[in-house]
Amino acid sequence: MNKLKRFSLPYLILLLVFIAIPMITMIALSFMTTEGMHFSNAVFTFANFSRLTEISVIVGLWNSLKYATIATLACLAIGYPLAYIFSRSKNKNGFLITLLLVLPMWSNILLRTNALGYFFSANNMITGLLSQIGINWSIDIKGTGLSVVIGLIMVYLPFMILPIYTVLDKIDTSLYDASSDLGGDPIRTFKKVTIPLSLKGVTTGIILVFLPCFSGFAVPRIMGNEKIVMLGTIIEDNFIYMDYNFGSLISMLLIFAIVIALFVISKVDKEGETLL
Amino acid sequence: MSEQEMQSIAALNYNDVNLTWLYRFFHRNHVAKFNKVFLPILKVVFIAFVFLVLYLPVILIAVQSVNNSADPASFGGLTLQWYTEIFKYRSLRSAILDTLLVAFLTLIISTVLGTLFAIGIHALEKKKRQKFIILNNIPLVNAEIVTGISLMLLFSLLLPIFPSIFGLPTMLIAHVFFTLPYVVLSVLPKLSELDANMYDAAVDLGDSPIKALSKVIVPAIWPGIIAGAMLAFTMSIDDFVISYYTTGNGFNNISIWIYSSIGKTSLKPAIYAYSTIVTLLASAFIVVAILWNNHKRKAGTKIEK
Amino acid sequence: MAKKLIELVHVVKKYDGEAAVNNINLYINENEFITLLGPSGCGKTTTLRMIGGFETPDSGDIILDGVKINDVPPFRRPINTVFQRYALFPHLDVFGNVAYGLKNYHMKDPELTQKVTEALHMVNLDGFEKRKVDSLSGGQQQRVAIARATVIRPRILLLDEPLAALDLKLRQSMQYELKEMQKKLGITFIYVTHDQEEALTMSDTVVVMNKGVIQQIGHPRDIYNEPKNRFVCNFIGQSNIFDGVVLGDHKVKFCGATFEYQEEGFEKDEAVDVVIRPEDFDVVPSKTAPLTAKVLSVVFKGVHFEMVVDLGGKIVTVHDYEESKVGDTIGLHIDPYEIHLMKLSHEQAQTL
Repeated sequence: MNKLKRFSLPYLILLLVFIAIPMITMIALSFMTTEGMHFSNAVFTFANFSRLTEISVIVGLWNSLKYATIATLACLAIGYPLAYIFSRSKNKNGFLITLLLVLPMWSNILLRTNALGYFFSANNMITGLLSQIGINWSIDIKGTGLSVVIGLIMVYLPFMILPIYTVLDKIDTSLYDASSDLGGDPIRTFKKVTIPLSLKGVTTGIILVFLPCFSGFAVPRIMGNEKIVMLGTIIEDNFIYMDYNFGSLISMLLIFAIVIALFVISKVDKEGETLL
Repeated sequence: MSEQEMQSIAALNYNDVNLTWLYRFFHRNHVAKFNKVFLPILKVVFIAFVFLVLYLPVILIAVQSVNNSADPASFGGLTLQWYTEIFKYRSLRSAILDTLLVAFLTLIISTVLGTLFAIGIHALEKKKRQKFIILNNIPLVNAEIVTGISLMLLFSLLLPIFPSIFGLPTMLIAHVFFTLPYVVLSVLPKLSELDANMYDAAVDLGDSPIKALSKVIVPAIWPGIIAGAMLAFTMSIDDFVISYYTTGNGFNNISIWIYSSIGKTSLKPAIYAYSTIVTLLASAFIVVAILWNNHKRKAGTKIEK
Repeated sequence: MAKKLIELVHVVKKYDGEAAVNNINLYINENEFITLLGPSGCGKTTTLRMIGGFETPDSGDIILDGVKINDVPPFRRPINTVFQRYALFPHLDVFGNVAYGLKNYHMKDPELTQKVTEALHMVNLDGFEKRKVDSLSGGQQQRVAIARATVIRPRILLLDEPLAALDLKLRQSMQYELKEMQKKLGITFIYVTHDQEEALTMSDTVVVMNKGVIQQIGHPRDIYNEPKNRFVCNFIGQSNIFDGVVLGDHKVKFCGATFEYQEEGFEKDEAVDVVIRPEDFDVVPSKTAPLTAKVLSVVFKGVHFEMVVDLGGKIVTVHDYEESKVGDTIGLHIDPYEIHLMKLSHEQAQTL
């Protein structure tokens, strides 16, 4: 068995190279101005850091925080009860539920977001149909923060439901019997048994939803009609216009947030089970 | 239950001091009856609402795939013409084929490597293994945009040596890199369920290490490998952000094609047809999987009887 | 002064159309140690769960202290359970587990800690308060489960095969501990097991069940010495059953010989089952014995030798302290008080 350890070595090297080198490069770029990736005319400077206080950056950061938090909380508020209902249902349909929740993900995320965007516009198929019957009704919110949040929820809700469901499903039902036996009514059982034992799944769900919402740019761009600025869109803009320096700097901000998240994960679970 | 009955039961049991106020509230006589009828309906409505939110866009896409009008704002009657046009446009056609190519290659490379790496990790001592797993999880937890940009920077550094590296090679390497952790995480739990002595037993009985692995270990962890393979394929075929940053030289995958066409006339309705076909295929897969599952369960209980 | 505490009246419970518990009638007294004994699937666990409130009878009533409690949920019944696999809360330590019920009833420190300490002392787990549940051995988890269930002083304690997962020596010592505990606490214990030795050791009363129906209720001695039907006879201890005919005047004929017996209630010419326990045969010289048999196998069992013999074509088990050799012809003698007669069941009577 011990001889098999050697198989992990190449992977170690791979991970270190692919993570460390880019990181170093990004740190280096943050402190310079370069023309794209040409280091020949590089100038060491703090100029990029002063750009951090630009309005667009502050707004972008605030928007990212705001929308990601709202979307995550909404996913939690919707996802936990749903996972709970599924885990307590009599028929053991875990497999079916998992598949049904994952099925939408087989449709391209951009197409789905775009379709939702049409739904939230003034002129779409459904409003057209309704106006033929004489009803003038539309949800015209595309381009607003609300539509971005709804778009985020639509995309990432399964990522909250699945980990919570997995954890809830694993809870031994005799524990519920035991709590009831010892005088706990269903509300108390939920508070003292279900919630503590599902915390791991909730943590996973929150991380799986919050991070992409915070750092993504596809959904905000489409649902926000290119008007809504978030961290991800700022980074993307910078890299499109070849301003790798500032883009790298903001990326470092993101990485900082992620390191904190990883720290939280490693405290909560030791065997890598949280993310399964 | 009458008041009197409830009183005598309360007397049996320390006067019900253990009941939470919330429970009491929901079980006062009139509220309790209301609950019995109301709650199940609420549950169904809630579940329906959630599935609506998740599936509405998918349904809209399906409708648009048979919409005679190319403009999603209006409905122009049913047609199947878009389905015939999927391979008509060169850009879309090559995007689809390139996506599939990358996905299949990623599937094979990632699954094989991931399984080997997982076996290696599993063989480590507990402390080292835990640290390794944290390292393994970093690409998973990293924001996609950071991973994409990191890889782009890394490949850029190699440009002097490999001037035309961007394109299929970079996208493939990128896809393998970001799907490996998923495969590892799928295979590892299966490995820990195994008897630790299986491999040694096989070698002891004369198998060469490779034989021991392939004849003994691999079949035992097969479900994990399959799950990992499916994950790798799924993540690769629909990937956007990472592919976006690691492509070049006109090599597109579907997501990039879509992103660059959104809102423009270059967004052919054929893409909706393609997406609907994928959805239908996946649904068929699910139905088969469920029937297979049911069949296995019934066969199991028959043998028991 | 036996006072009825809980009563099951015409209780029926069906699963998938099949009756797991089929019209059982049973009452249990205060301060009693009663065991439901039977093979898997006989309905004993279902009955226990109905008493605990985890299942509801399809028909019939469960009455506690004169109050019908069919629909009362478990958290409103003064009844607690020790689950088969202990069901300890993994996210709480030993103290948290034992204190769980007390906290539900709003008990606070210092009384709370005092009660927990007492409970742990009673199960010999002093000092275990801070231990994590998964660091405990099976026996220790067992005892935490018992402490947790008894600390809130229920009127009835239900035990669902609690010793099943323990090794033999531990099981035997726990049996005595449980019996002592029941006497000390004065709580009614309702115990479920498939192990008849366990049932006979610990119980004041044994209820033998099979296929959802109660076969016999009684004191362990009575169940053992006077089984009422074939099932109980075969399930409890080992036995040999012979076809016999009552000759009247307390004489019965079986295996070609006539014996005197002592029981009442059988008529002349009645066909009966004659039950002789292996240990009730006396091995005597074959010349003067009423029965002779040929020894087919001998196994040393520690306390006795177990012999399988051929008694006129019928295979019979005999226990003796002395060893006989395979192939020997031995004589068998039976004392009158060791001959037990059983009435034939309906099915058996039909075939005559």
